[in-house]
Amino acid sequence: MLPALAVLGVFLIGSAAQVVYYSLGSYNPFTDTYEFVGGANYARLMGDGVFWRARANAVLYLLVTPVLIVLSLVCALIVDSRVKGSPLLRLLFFLPVVTPTIVAAVAWRLLLNEESGLLNAGLSVLGLPGANWLTTHPFTLISAMLVTLWKGFGFYMMVFLAALVAVPRELKEAAAIDGAGRMGTFLNVTLPTLRPTIVLVSIISSISALKVFDELFVTVRGVPPEQQTVVPLVYSLAFERNDFGLACAAGLTLFVVILAFSLLNLWITRRAGGRDA
Amino acid sequence: MLERRPGWWIAAIYATALVVVALAVGPAIWLVLGAFQPAGGDVGDPVSSLVLGVEGDGADRQRATLENFGAAWGGGDLARPLINSVIVTAARTTLGVLLAALAAYPLARMSFAGRRILFLVILATTMIPEQVIVVPMFKIASGLGLFDSLAGAVIPFAVSAFGVFLCMQAFEQVPHELEEAARMDGASTLRIWWNVMLPLSAPTLATLALFSIIGAWSDLLWPLVILQSESNFTLPVKINEMLGLFSTNPRVAYAASVLALLPIIAFFLIMQHWLRPSLFAGAVKG
Repeated sequence: MLPALAVLGVFLIGSAAQVVYYSLGSYNPFTDTYEFVGGANYARLMGDGVFWRARANAVLYLLVTPVLIVLSLVCALIVDSRVKGSPLLRLLFFLPVVTPTIVAAVAWRLLLNEESGLLNAGLSVLGLPGANWLTTHPFTLISAMLVTLWKGFGFYMMVFLAALVAVPRELKEAAAIDGAGRMGTFLNVTLPTLRPTIVLVSIISSISALKVFDELFVTVRGVPPEQQTVVPLVYSLAFERNDFGLACAAGLTLFVVILAFSLLNLWITRRAGGRDA
Repeated sequence: MLERRPGWWIAAIYATALVVVALAVGPAIWLVLGAFQPAGGDVGDPVSSLVLGVEGDGADRQRATLENFGAAWGGGDLARPLINSVIVTAARTTLGVLLAALAAYPLARMSFAGRRILFLVILATTMIPEQVIVVPMFKIASGLGLFDSLAGAVIPFAVSAFGVFLCMQAFEQVPHELEEAARMDGASTLRIWWNVMLPLSAPTLATLALFSIIGAWSDLLWPLVILQSESNFTLPVKINEMLGLFSTNPRVAYAASVLALLPIIAFFLIMQHWLRPSLFAGAVKG
């Protein structure tokens, strides 16, 4: 197990320690000089409109989570209903998960094309004005969210499918005998059994949404960082503006939020008696 | 089924399914059509120019062309990134599965000082997002001489704590008697790991490999950061570059995207047997 520990130790834990170190300093990658500046980077961030806008966008991006849950749950219910062809449906619903994010983003760029894309064409058929999906905030965020949604629903569908297996059949039968309709059975039996999974999926997908990079970077290429979320901002600060200190500070503020979600996840999993340590 | 389902209900299920299938497969089909579209047509609308024609009756439709693929393969030099992607994906997956399984064995089956602490440390690393530490990770990897090398794209992500946990869960299911029987026969610890634990955990290892391959093939952020010269680019980094280079004729980048999509879809269709919902339950609890 030593090699595994070495890799985790050097890269993950080492980087995690260093991210704190860099965030407290001003580092110049060209001269390789580091100067301790204390909380100056954090002070700069707090006074920086770009950072706050990126954070606000990150919060907006979380709106993808409820849509993702509903869509993946619907898919899981369709597959679980065991209509003819449901294994094929499951396979097709999962294909976007396998698709590399950059390919997904490129495909959606066609649909979202501002002059001739399907989405704007569809809107104009409905008599609605089109939007600049690839260039104008906040449509750019919606565009990236569409890609996140597309890439993600098949994955969470599988998670829900695993949970649906656990819904006790006797309970469903009992409900049916008691004269509960299909909707009644779903609301009173299936949904309560699924509640822990729904909570878990919302946390996990929220964490992914907070960490989003590829979808924004590719789908809405070239959009300024203040119109994106925190990770693209970190990337742009570090590798375009060479401001490692500020980038690390911005990354750490994101980490605090993600950590809160992770701990919540851990706490819920433990309490549900999911797995022992 | 215990319940009798009325026809309208089945119809409603299929109707919904159809909408979602269109959503799931549509964008990829659009992309493929876009890759076959000759220059001149509207970039966002391959269906009109290839299938329907501008008037909608198919009279003036364009002929599908392989030109974009030629331009992507020849002009974009795709062979190299394709090979690089295969190497990086294979190396990350092989190392990832082996190292995770190696680390998981003592954690799952042996008692030693600090086992619990080690476990907690590994658990803690699952909470550190790659995106947050990408900057110092870049510094460390560069310091180790990994900048702009394929090894640099592989090694930092050769082990995931998630993989360790997945393997631990699987090993915990292996009956102790089997392990003891093997030990009585004089098998070494390493042999037991290889001949008993690994074969009995095959479904988990396959799932881990599947996740790892899908993830590594798609990875953009880290290769983008660590790879600099064209000859080391993986496919996603290359496609990203092509989107900029061929911005006036993005169809070339579409063709490259289709080429990046085909191998992973083919692979997935072969491996789909391992796509089991039960294995996803563990994936979110990690």
